[in-house]
Amino acid sequence: MNNPLDLSRWRERPLGLVYRIRIMIVAGLRRESQTRLFRWLLVLGWVGGFCLALAGYLFNRTLSEGGFAEQLSELFGIKGKAVFRIFEGFLALYPDVCIGGFFNLLFSNYSKAALLLSLLAITAMVPRLIAPDRASNGLTVYLSRPLTSTDYLLGKLGILTAVLGLLWTGPMIAGWLVSLALTPSLEAAAYSFAALKAALLFNGIALVSLSAIALGVSALSTKGRNTQIAWLALWLLPGILTVTAPHSVWLQRASFKRNLDQTRLGLFQSESVYTAVADKLALLNQDAKSALRTLGKDARAQDFRAALLSLTALSAASFLVLLRKLRTE
Amino acid sequence: MLDDVTLQVPAGTVGLLGPNGAGKSTLIKCLLNLEKPSSGSARVLGTDIRSANRASREKVGYSPEKDSHLSDMLGCEYVTYCGQLSGMPFAAARQRTHEILDLVGMGSERYRKVETYSTGMRQRIKLAQALVHDPELIILDEPTNGLDPSGREHILELIGSLRRELGVSVVISSHLLRDIERVCDRVIIVSRGRVVEHASLAALKSRHENFVELTPSAQRQRFAPVLSAAGWNVTPLSNGKLRVKCHSTEGLLQLLAQHDLPPAEIVANPDALHEMFIQAVSAAHEQPA
Repeated sequence: MNNPLDLSRWRERPLGLVYRIRIMIVAGLRRESQTRLFRWLLVLGWVGGFCLALAGYLFNRTLSEGGFAEQLSELFGIKGKAVFRIFEGFLALYPDVCIGGFFNLLFSNYSKAALLLSLLAITAMVPRLIAPDRASNGLTVYLSRPLTSTDYLLGKLGILTAVLGLLWTGPMIAGWLVSLALTPSLEAAAYSFAALKAALLFNGIALVSLSAIALGVSALSTKGRNTQIAWLALWLLPGILTVTAPHSVWLQRASFKRNLDQTRLGLFQSESVYTAVADKLALLNQDAKSALRTLGKDARAQDFRAALLSLTALSAASFLVLLRKLRTE
Repeated sequence: MLDDVTLQVPAGTVGLLGPNGAGKSTLIKCLLNLEKPSSGSARVLGTDIRSANRASREKVGYSPEKDSHLSDMLGCEYVTYCGQLSGMPFAAARQRTHEILDLVGMGSERYRKVETYSTGMRQRIKLAQALVHDPELIILDEPTNGLDPSGREHILELIGSLRRELGVSVVISSHLLRDIERVCDRVIIVSRGRVVEHASLAALKSRHENFVELTPSAQRQRFAPVLSAAGWNVTPLSNGKLRVKCHSTEGLLQLLAQHDLPPAEIVANPDALHEMFIQAVSAAHEQPA
């Protein structure tokens, strides 16, 4: 309808909350994608996913009938074939240790690398999350619309989730699916699933806790640079201080990075892979077994529950900061 | 702080007046749920602001007093985004954005980042984001602050036409009484957190002692004696005008015509609102808090 003000009217029913939050997420992602660092991190994330797919594919192809291992063993004559048969028997007896163990270590190390990538991405994102909205009274713009402060936070959380999903979850799932698609094997799918489940659980815990902490840090100041310094301090300082006071429990609890590492070790329980191989693989001599047990000890979580509790406490503290700071001026 | 505020405001253009710290902005923020009142209830466009928090703002536009924007966005992107946050699909939001930006007088500046705007441009974009989703009510906090005279004229004209031509109700909080007088048909005066006056502008003026400001066209020195001789109460003003207490402008015009004294300009109750405002605020200050 035209009118003397030469203005069209919009009298439709407004689209719902999910749409509005999606708009916030898309706008946030668009802004992030304009930075070169984010594009580089995205490339690295998907290279990681490709590596995971390649490792899974090579592993499956190696152990499959007529696969790389069998072909290789033929090059070494009768001895080679014998060793291969032993491994084949071991695989038939303990597929959970062989296939499950391999994917456990693969996903555990992938998660470690993806966590580092995500921490870098968040370092770049923290100044752009809440601080600019506080500085330019953007909160008023959001909250004077049909949005509550919870909706606003969900939108911001959605941006972080989307970024971590693109850098971490997406490549990981895609890598696993591609590795299975290239060498279809029900066994591989079944025995790698436990490791994938642990990886997804760790991914979820990291996502929630990192998002909560990042949002809290971003709300601390109206200056982006200050929030970035605060984030880096929270990430790196406890680790640096632990060098001077290695037995300080408080410093260990205060470090979300250490807590996440402990959570990862606790969820994957990779020590059981090393000890199972050491105990069950008859071919290994005592030195090799001892080396595997040492590796297992290193891969054991020292305080899994305490790490989870500390992450919960840090997330709760961030939430309190958000409650205090998310007010219009 | 607001205390004991009971109001029912009909559709129209309403001016919200009060000295600094009187509670105007707090009242607006309470209505928009930007601040939580300790007690009481409020309905905006018939919707309870507590039980239907989001819905109460679906058809409301707000232009805050303080500079408010989202950084790193072009002007047109920002207004479109605001429309989408109010639930508009992208195509509709984009179309309305460009129409509104034309309306508030923004040309190619719309393709610049908001943080590069001048104060006047920021006022315009604040008004644009408040209007983009075609609200039934817009609340404007000091909408002409920082505008040059022509910009101010343009925005006041636009605010006036929003009610006349689109039926949009407007609440304007301003300390510029002339602006309120020009575009509003009702006035709410707030002082020390209480509503001390709420009436239509016409009713307020009719309660006020009537007088006119007369600008003589020629023979300036003859005006005052003629009017005084006829029994009118005349006070010469320093700007050359005469302040005449009168109940009928027609009677005054007839008298001047009889004496061949044409006036250049006659303005009825030019400062009525100002005086009513001072009276209301003074009365509120005399009462115990």
